[in-house]
Parts: sequence; C-alpha cells; structure tokens
Amino acid sequence: MPENTSYMVAAYVITAAILVGYAVLLYRRTLKP
Amino acid sequence: MRLLKTARWITVLGLALLAAVYVRALAFTPVERVQGAAQKIFYLHVPAAIWTEAGMVLVGVASIFFLFLKDPRLDRFAEASAEVGMMFGTIVLTTGPIWGKPIWGTWWTWDARLTLTLLLFLMYVGYLLLRGAVTDPGLRARYAAVLGISGMCLVPFVHLSVYMFRTLHPQPIVLKPSAPSLPGDMLATLLFSFVVFTILYVGFVTQRYALALLREQADQHA
Amino acid sequence: MPDVWRHAWRLARKDLLVEFRSRTAILSAVVFTVLVLMVFNFGRDPTAVAAVDLAPSILWVTFTFAAMLALNRAFQLELENQALDGLLLAPVSRSSIYLGKLIANLAFVATVEAVGLPLFALFFNVSILPVLGPLLAVLALATVGFVAVGTLFSAMTARTRFAELLLPVLLLPFMIPPLIWAVLATAALLAGRPLSEAVGWLRLLAAFDIVFVSLAFFLFPATVDE
Repeated sequence: MPENTSYMVAAYVITAAILVGYAVLLYRRTLKP
Repeated sequence: MRLLKTARWITVLGLALLAAVYVRALAFTPVERVQGAAQKIFYLHVPAAIWTEAGMVLVGVASIFFLFLKDPRLDRFAEASAEVGMMFGTIVLTTGPIWGKPIWGTWWTWDARLTLTLLLFLMYVGYLLLRGAVTDPGLRARYAAVLGISGMCLVPFVHLSVYMFRTLHPQPIVLKPSAPSLPGDMLATLLFSFVVFTILYVGFVTQRYALALLREQADQHA
Repeated sequence: MPDVWRHAWRLARKDLLVEFRSRTAILSAVVFTVLVLMVFNFGRDPTAVAAVDLAPSILWVTFTFAAMLALNRAFQLELENQALDGLLLAPVSRSSIYLGKLIANLAFVATVEAVGLPLFALFFNVSILPVLGPLLAVLALATVGFVAVGTLFSAMTARTRFAELLLPVLLLPFMIPPLIWAVLATAALLAGRPLSEAVGWLRLLAAFDIVFVSLAFFLFPATVDE
C-alpha cells in the first residue's frame, strides 16, 4: 500500500461528492424553476 | 426545453467519463515515488484549478461584451460561469489542503497560488452576492458586468505576484517553455482529466444558463 | 478633457465642504485610528515581539479601516437626499462624478493618514523619517488603489439593501493584493533594507493604480446610467 492513501481517498471522495452534488442540485432546480 | 435536455446529457456523459478518469488515475497510473498516493490528487486538482480561473476570465469577457452589446444572453452566461467557477473553486480549495497536509506538513500556506484561488473564490462569492442584492434585472446585469470585468482585471496582478515570490507550491511542470517534464502515463491521465472537466464545465454552465432562462420565462408569465 | 477635471474638482470641493463642515466623519475616522493603534499596542508583549515586526501590518490595517469608513459614506450622503438624481441631471459627464468622488475620498483618507502616520511612529517608536519619501510613495500608491476601486463599487452597493455589509465583501479581493504589496514594501523600508527591494512592490502598486483608475473611469457610467 503506497503511503498517504487516506489523503488521496479523501480528496477523490470529496471531489466526486461536489461534482455529483452540484449535478443533482441543478437537476432539481431545473425541475421547478 | 431542448437546451436543458442536451445540457443534462452532456453532464451525464461528463460524470460517466469522470468515473473512467478515476479508474485510470487510481489503478492504471503509476504511483509517484516521493509523494506516494497523495500525488494522484493532482489529476483532479489541476483541471479544477484551470477551470476556476478560466471561469472567471469568461465571466469577465462575457461582461465586456454585455456592456457593449446589451444582450441578456451574455449576462445569463456570465451568471452561469460564475456559479460553476465557484463550484470548481470549492474543489480546488478542498483538494489543495488535503494534498498539502501530507506533502508540506500544513493544511494551508499563503503561497501565491493558493492565495490566488482563495481570491478567485471570494470574487465569485461577491459576484453572486451582488447579483442577489439587486432586484432590478437591468441594473443587476450592469452591476454584475462591472464587477466581473474588474475581477478579470485583477487576475493578472495576482499571477505577477506568483512569479515575484518564492513559493512552496510545485513549480509548473506542464505548461512551461521547455517540454513537459511529467512522465507520459501521468501526462496522459492529466490531459484526459482536463478534457472531462471541460465537458463538465460545458454541461454545468449550459444547464445553469437554461435554469436562468426558465426562471425569466416563469417570471414573465407571472 | 479639461472640463472633466474642472467639474471633478468642483464636485470634490462640494463633497469636502459638506464633510469638513460637519466634521463628524473625519473625527470618527481619526479617533478610530488612534483606538486601533492603541489596541494593537496593548495586544502584544513588547518583550516577545519587536514593534518593527508588527508595525507594517498595524499601519495598513488601520488605514484600510479608515478607507472603508470613507467609502461607506461616499454615496450614502447623495442617496439620503436623493441628490444623486440631481447630480445626474447636471451637465457634467458621468466620469467627472467618478473623479470628483475619487478626489473627495482620497482627501478624506489622506487626512486620516496624515494624522495616523505620525501617531503610529510615536506609539510604536518606529523611525520613519529616514525613509519618509519612499514611505509616502507607498502610502499614496496603495491608497489610490483601494479608493479607486472602492469608489466605483460604492456607487453600486449604495443602492442595495445591505450596503455596508456588501461593500467590504466586494472590495476585499481587490484590496488584498495592493495591501500585501504595501505591507511588504513598508516592511522592507522600516527594516532599513535597500530601496531596490521595495521597488518591485512599488511598481506593482503603480501598475495597479493605472489599470484600475482607468477601468473605474470607464466603467463608472455603467453604474449610474439607465
């Protein structure tokens, strides 16, 4: 296991959360403007 | 609405390709010797940083054209680019410290690039707050344009400061006068990620633009 | 071109006469400056931290607050009396209004700085006379920088609901770079470093001023036109 893996995982999870989260947010806002 | 449907599909495509970037970065790109796994944060952080800054430049350019042409489509685009840019800025400001902690031993440093991103983020916040504070649509568009242009003009100054300062931040290894010194595999992953982030920018901005248009139409009917 | 300046001076004089006749704003700014200087002094342990290390930051925080006070007032006065509409009907160009406001704001902040700088040197026992020329240059350039942008933005925020809150938020990213350069230049000067070290920051400040005063001059009409 290379070192600093937990940081990498944290960053990848957060990025995905932000991008998917924003996509969901936009989807819901465009359903009822 | 056709624009919205297209935009949604672009976003879905972007997210699907993002998954592919993840797989490639995590499983098929070599681990860097000195920084270990944390170095892989680079493949998300850098494209996000590029689009945070490009987003602001586009807000500025759209604002300049808006003040001359007075076309509301330009204003809608500026608003969309600002919101999306801010979202990418959030990614940079979260992945940056997470990368910095194991590598530099500290969550935050006032190095010039981090400062630039923080400033960009604050400009986005200010821009969106100003828009929220003005009720008249014509006035709002003009004020936002003034702020957007000012913001765009500030960016080169902060960049100048970057080069006048010795910094902790990794020096450019891709965009520099000599050939990129990143190994082939890693460069390919970075470029792939950049393309995907571009697709996501386009998808998000178009959706946000469509949202603004839908709201205006709803207001007119009301 | 000369007309723009003539009108600008006249508008600035009008503003300054109002300001100095009532004297409340300038007095509160000066009092505030003294208070901030005192607080900073009591907040540090003199045996642990040398005055000269903190001095540049203290100086600039103080002057930044003074500038914010001036800017908050810049258009409020007009709005309260609906005098802004009268001003817009007058046969002066929009840009003169901007220049006039800019000059008036600069005069206000310069007055506060003229009082604050000697007090600062006194309270913190900092010797400024040997570097007075360059120090005044830093002061002038940085002040012009934030007041130029601040005057433009205050024209926009004056009409919004939370004007006093919104103006600092909008202005913050634009004040940070000149503030940093000013602090760095001041630190170099007060530490007795050769002038060549401060010159880079001075050049950035000058470039910033040229760009943003011109930009504000051209953008101001967009903030008041229908």
